Amino acid sequence: MKRPRFEAPVFYLLALALALLGAAASLAPFSLPADAAPAGKLTLAWHAGFASRWLDPQEHDGTATPDNFFTAIHDALIKNQGTELYNHLALAEHFTIAPDAKSATFTLRKGIKFHNGDPVTPQDVKFSYENYRGAKADVFKKRTERIDIVDDRTIRFVFKEPFLDFGILLGTANVDGAGWVVPEKYYKQVGADAFKQKPIGAGPFKLVRSEPGVRLEMEAFDGYYRPVNAKQLVMIAVPEAATRVAMLERGEADIVYNVPGELISRVGKLPGVTLAPVLSGSFFIEFPGFQDPKNPFHDKRVREAVSLAVDRRAMNQAETAGMGKPTGNWINDDVQYAIEWPEFPRDVEKAKQLLREAGYPNGFNVDWVTPLPAFYSRGERLVSQLREVGIKARLQTMERGIFLQRLQGGLKEFPGTQIILHGARIGGSWSFWYEGHFKCGGFNSRDRICVKDLDGKFDQYERSINPAERKKLAEEIQRGILENYYLVPVFRHAFVNAIGPRIVLKKWQDIFPTITTGYAYPWEDIKVKEQ
Amino acid sequence: MATIPADTRLPSRRTASGRLRAVVKAARGAPMTAVVILGGLLLVAVLADVLAPYDPTMPVKGAEMFAPPFWMDGGSLATPLGTDFQGRDILSRLLYGARVSLIVGLMGTLVAGGIGTALGIISGYAGGWVDQVIMRVTDAWLALPAIVFAIFLAAMVGPSMWNIIVILGLVYWTRYARVIRGEVLTLRERDFVKLAEIAGASRFRVIKKHILPNVLNTATVLASLTVGVVIIAEASLSFLGVGVPPPQPAWGLMLSEARPTLMVGQWWLTVFPGACILLIVLATQLFGDWLRVRLDPQLRNL
Amino acid sequence: MSQFIIRRVLYSVVTLFILSGTIFLIVRLTGDPVALMAEATARPEDLERVRHLWGLDRSWAVQYVTFMQNALRGELGKSFNYRMPVSELYFQRLPNSLTLGLAATLISLLIGIPAGIISAVKVNSAWDNVAKGIALLGLSIPGFWLGLVLILVFSVWLRWLPTSGAGDWRHVVMPALALGWYFAASMLRLTRSSMLEVLGSEYIKLARLKGLPDFVVIAMHAFKNALIPVFTLAGVNMVVMVNAAVIIEVIFAWPGIGRLLYEGIFQRDFPLVQGVVIMAGFMIVGINLAVDILYAFIDPRIRLSR
Repeated sequence: MKRPRFEAPVFYLLALALALLGAAASLAPFSLPADAAPAGKLTLAWHAGFASRWLDPQEHDGTATPDNFFTAIHDALIKNQGTELYNHLALAEHFTIAPDAKSATFTLRKGIKFHNGDPVTPQDVKFSYENYRGAKADVFKKRTERIDIVDDRTIRFVFKEPFLDFGILLGTANVDGAGWVVPEKYYKQVGADAFKQKPIGAGPFKLVRSEPGVRLEMEAFDGYYRPVNAKQLVMIAVPEAATRVAMLERGEADIVYNVPGELISRVGKLPGVTLAPVLSGSFFIEFPGFQDPKNPFHDKRVREAVSLAVDRRAMNQAETAGMGKPTGNWINDDVQYAIEWPEFPRDVEKAKQLLREAGYPNGFNVDWVTPLPAFYSRGERLVSQLREVGIKARLQTMERGIFLQRLQGGLKEFPGTQIILHGARIGGSWSFWYEGHFKCGGFNSRDRICVKDLDGKFDQYERSINPAERKKLAEEIQRGILENYYLVPVFRHAFVNAIGPRIVLKKWQDIFPTITTGYAYPWEDIKVKEQ
Repeated sequence: MATIPADTRLPSRRTASGRLRAVVKAARGAPMTAVVILGGLLLVAVLADVLAPYDPTMPVKGAEMFAPPFWMDGGSLATPLGTDFQGRDILSRLLYGARVSLIVGLMGTLVAGGIGTALGIISGYAGGWVDQVIMRVTDAWLALPAIVFAIFLAAMVGPSMWNIIVILGLVYWTRYARVIRGEVLTLRERDFVKLAEIAGASRFRVIKKHILPNVLNTATVLASLTVGVVIIAEASLSFLGVGVPPPQPAWGLMLSEARPTLMVGQWWLTVFPGACILLIVLATQLFGDWLRVRLDPQLRNL
Repeated sequence: MSQFIIRRVLYSVVTLFILSGTIFLIVRLTGDPVALMAEATARPEDLERVRHLWGLDRSWAVQYVTFMQNALRGELGKSFNYRMPVSELYFQRLPNSLTLGLAATLISLLIGIPAGIISAVKVNSAWDNVAKGIALLGLSIPGFWLGLVLILVFSVWLRWLPTSGAGDWRHVVMPALALGWYFAASMLRLTRSSMLEVLGSEYIKLARLKGLPDFVVIAMHAFKNALIPVFTLAGVNMVVMVNAAVIIEVIFAWPGIGRLLYEGIFQRDFPLVQGVVIMAGFMIVGINLAVDILYAFIDPRIRLSR
């Protein structure tokens, strides 16, 4: 049968229309489908106060704290995200490090912008790097020969000699901020101090309102190159733990940091609440002045006895409801070249025997056990555990500022026989741990440890330009520390956070995917349920 | 409360027996509740070693952490008032804590009273620029928020019970200085003082024999009212992290340590130390009230 | 009169000088802010650089002189932590503290005065004892405990009020209650004793003899006179509250001055601590001055005293 004649033109018209539509769609820039527009308000109850410098990556203080804040407002060439330690591509869509490690080249994405609409250019990257004044600034300055802007999206860093740590240093948000890009024009225009009150960055959220020390209100930035799920991100400073828990119960906060140890199991049972026990700082024991032959800890057997006396599992259970991890290595496993080490055993009888062999059949007295403030309960547990093998000690508490000052004062601030229970979280590389807490003259270790042969090996490590050799030295040094009990690891603390019912998740790692930090970034990925 | 007898003069203080009779007569009619509570607390503090079933600083072997009081599910008579987050017996900690609270309260008040009374007497009696300087310093001190001072001192010299006493004393002496100074200003104009001065008595003697005894009444009343404040201040210092250092048991510290547990239903950790604090403040306040009326009705407005 | 005022003003100035010197010294004795902010692998050169930037490497005498020179011009320095002028921070937070202080004072008066009056009028009766009991409770419960219990009951269980932070009237109720409760006790006692004194005076006896009903006697005559010292105390207390409500502000995450100071101390933020203490001192000394002058107006004997 012959087709009706009017159908044919309709058919062809339809085909033409579809073709045109398809062409238009392929030519138009990619835009978010309507139902993925940012929605909902995400509220974080932060467990301390805010320092304004945390909103400015140019003055990163090197601690594992500011990253919680500037990851919301700013962005970097490469950064630590998810399971990637430093090389997650962010503002850079591509980067290479030359085989001789004497240069690194980054290519920026197309169309990336700052919150004020200005494009992110290699000039901004150069400015951010050269103007950087925070932690590790001297390392970058000393080793960088020059920076070449290759074209309107490409930038190359050239170094004086092979700079093997460049990637790690540039890309770890809790180590330094040189790779985090700030707008050159705006920064120069308002100055460093005003920038901290009204920062402009290239990150997923822009700051709309801030009450210094109290509250930060941010809104999704629609020019971000990734989809941002929440429309509003609010961070509130709530130093009192009981109040944070109340806020969670009442739905005033969606994510709450640092649930105190005693409350962990109860908070976990609240309806709709998910606990997020992120592994965080490592706690380990130091014996100041153990090199002195008169110090009882001079004898390796005594140090080993201490390690055998410590009940890591009980400590973990009591302090973090079992959510931490008895260690192992005192250096966290989320940094470069950190070695894995089995959990140290507990054996009270063997400890006593070792003490007998070392000449202390009835134990001995320790003047003070000083824990990192304000983790006094850990110190107390350590004291009672040591008492079981005959080591009698008293707990010394002090305020944090005083503690840090005394650490930096060196051995003279810790006379007699003492034990320090340190806690630290350092990102990036194992070498930063060594440098800060073990090396002779280190910021926290000063002259209290000073093991010559290990320090010698460390110098070798720093001078080496061969990755294989470095890895080997790193392992040897860490082995040396652990086998000789120069430091006694205790456990890895769990920074236990709580997630409220309005957050969309299947498991807590969805909200805390980045293993190098205890905080909930990347912020743009967190989804809030519809009201 | 006893009615005030018509003859309010106390027996002569010149002889020892006279003094004793004076104290006994003065003590008649003291509020029984206050005396019983204070006496009881004193007894407990002294006999804590005997009364307490466990060492307050060590976890009880075999006991759970956060065990509730014995009348609740999960509690046991071995730890009748429950255990804390380290598994330490609450009852033992309360008993030993009485020591700290009493010592801190009484000694802190004594230090504050001592400094304040001394400065008040000097200021009021000497007059002139000495008086002005002391008063300006007092004003400046009052304007200094107590917490700054407390934190500064605790940070400098390290936390310990004795340092806390000094800190509290240094924070609260200003109360005394002003009031005592006012007293002394009035006393100076009284006949018996003027007579002594004319008779050639040295300043020191005048102060010792005439001013001081009369000022002591006011000071004592002030002291009884300050004790409660000082005990609460100890709790506040613990909250701020600069109080009596753990593991020493102190009621204020126990209250502060147990803060988060309020939100999740472990009420016994805060209610018991809180009740103890309440008791001692109650007792000292009642006692102070009675003292105030007994010693000098003029002091009603303090 | 003017001589009196001048003298008093002079005293206030001297007091403020002593205060500034004291706080300057005290904060510097507590330690080094730079070391506190640094991280594990910091080098001495980094610390020196920051110290130089903040002027901490100069001698204390030089620092003090600079500080006073600036202070007299109204500049209290820049906070190390917030990188903002201290005065700006202070005035940003002041309204919050004033609100809290005012609300707490109101509560203390609303509880204290009526209870005190009833107590005095029905002296030694059951009512008196109940009132005294309330006063006692106010004096013996630490503010932080009361604050947390309030949060637990009204915020978590009953869901009537928000837990923390500043906002509308609902946010103020609990912190004001926790703060004002203690002062209500002293208001109560003062009202009671003041009323008792007035009620026993000749003036009142005369009014009673005239046959006026008790109620009128109290309302018209006793009330006014008895309350002068009460309101004075309330004024002084409010100033104390504004500056020192640290614990309540921490618990309720209230953005006030007390919390600003507290956090500043732990961070060794010298300019902040100095600036806040001096501003607080200003306020306290100023209020005392105003009260002194006011009383001098009212009572000529005071004018003539030293």
